[in-house]
Amino acid sequence: MLKWYEQIVPDGDVVISSRVRLARNLEDYMFSPLLKEADAVKLVNEVKNITSSLADQDTRKYYSCNIKSLSDIDKAAMVERHIVSPLLVDKEQTTGLILSEDETVSIMINEEDHVRIQAIVGGMNLEKAYEVASHIDDIAYDKLNFAYDDKYGYMTSCPTNVGTGMRASCMVFLPALSAARMIQKLIEEVGRYGVTIRGIYGEGTKSLGSIYQISNQKTLGNSEGEIIQNLNRIVDQVMKQERKRREYMLSLNTDEIEDQVYRAYGILKYARQITPDDAMTLLSQLKFGADCGLIKFDREFNIHKMMMGVQPGSLQWTLGKNVGSTTRDKSRAEYISKELPRLML
Amino acid sequence: MLCDRCKMRDAKVLYTEIINGAKTEQHLCEECATDYTSFQMEKPLLTSDMTLNSILSTLLGAYQNNNTKKPGESKANLVCENCKTTFDEFLQRGRFGCSQCYRSFNSELGKTLRGIQGAQAHTGKRPKGYMFATDRILKDMSDEERLSLELQEAIEKEEFEEAARLRDLIRQLKKEEANNA
Repeated sequence: MLKWYEQIVPDGDVVISSRVRLARNLEDYMFSPLLKEADAVKLVNEVKNITSSLADQDTRKYYSCNIKSLSDIDKAAMVERHIVSPLLVDKEQTTGLILSEDETVSIMINEEDHVRIQAIVGGMNLEKAYEVASHIDDIAYDKLNFAYDDKYGYMTSCPTNVGTGMRASCMVFLPALSAARMIQKLIEEVGRYGVTIRGIYGEGTKSLGSIYQISNQKTLGNSEGEIIQNLNRIVDQVMKQERKRREYMLSLNTDEIEDQVYRAYGILKYARQITPDDAMTLLSQLKFGADCGLIKFDREFNIHKMMMGVQPGSLQWTLGKNVGSTTRDKSRAEYISKELPRLML
Repeated sequence: MLCDRCKMRDAKVLYTEIINGAKTEQHLCEECATDYTSFQMEKPLLTSDMTLNSILSTLLGAYQNNNTKKPGESKANLVCENCKTTFDEFLQRGRFGCSQCYRSFNSELGKTLRGIQGAQAHTGKRPKGYMFATDRILKDMSDEERLSLELQEAIEKEEFEEAARLRDLIRQLKKEEANNA
């Protein structure tokens, strides 16, 4: 089964992926800040036990593990692929993970909430992501006593998540809007509709390669369907603006942009060492060129997969060993050169 | 420029208020801004090393102060019996201690949640097979009790035809019961 970042997806020129996260807590345990280590261990084991129910009632294959048993490289690579949050792997307490083989579903155990169910699908498809997450939620609820209240809905550790416990987000590629310095304006605009835009690895992280996350802010008062509908409308608008801006940029100076895209390809293909930031910038230019049809590859190629592959953790994971940053820059250049398809000229 | 409110100190804050679409702008000094708005001006609201947590608790606190100025109203002794978290600790940390906290702080929570979420009740998904407390009570009622409740509601809504229908149903039920007995 192909992973979400290996598929050809709807609106992939702007929306890289759609993700839904549901926060759930168990009635019989203290919330995260007050949970004792012994109970954390118990919690992780209790939640990990649903893995077999998932295998029975869902078509995917599932694995579970304790985060502590993973190597630093594994952890970093999983953060870079959006399977887990930085908080989960950095937490001193025992934390756990259930992951589907295709990396669509991940269940974080003892993060900020006891259980965080996440579903991620390629392209613009929040409905699908919610359908998957909600199905997993139903299976889990059979075994786990989720804290739910008539009035407050799903009760979460932080009041910003209460109600649906849902954060829906789209990862979007906005090179033209960033080049035009329109992101700040966009952030202010969408803020009025209860929607936020931030860097790709969540709260407080910077944007890399013009990739941003657009997500709902409020979780209480609107149903899951309404939240998704609202977000869909906003992302749709952002998508239209980005495409319009791309057309405008191209009409203004096609030659210059084309030159930039081909130069990016040249450096990526032939550089002998390259930093992650440089690689991201150039891959972002390459994706822009490919999306606009300025450049064609001789086979199907998902640039976003490579964007994740060049990150330090994923790179070392591919290499199978821990290496210093200079060696990494060389290996990164090698990896890109090898994986980058030829151009159709 | 002098402050629009006290007309004494220098204005340092432009405060824009939009109420029902009508926009008013005021140039305020820090003191008047603190007084007039819910923002703490003497301490900067955002500093570089501020975590999301502390921002949140500042906001929570601000909403709370704003809403509990009525004299004689005390919230200090709200304590969650399950985890011993007090309402003040919750405001400070920006985190609940356990699910029971929601019920323990129920009387104060509506305002807090309206402040950060713009709503105070959930309208979305219910766990599969979950029953509302009212539904659970309804389920345990006898037919007669339930019909009486519906009758009362119909009378309150002045739906008299429906009320008459329900009254007849109840009479019939009573009659049947009497016959059975």
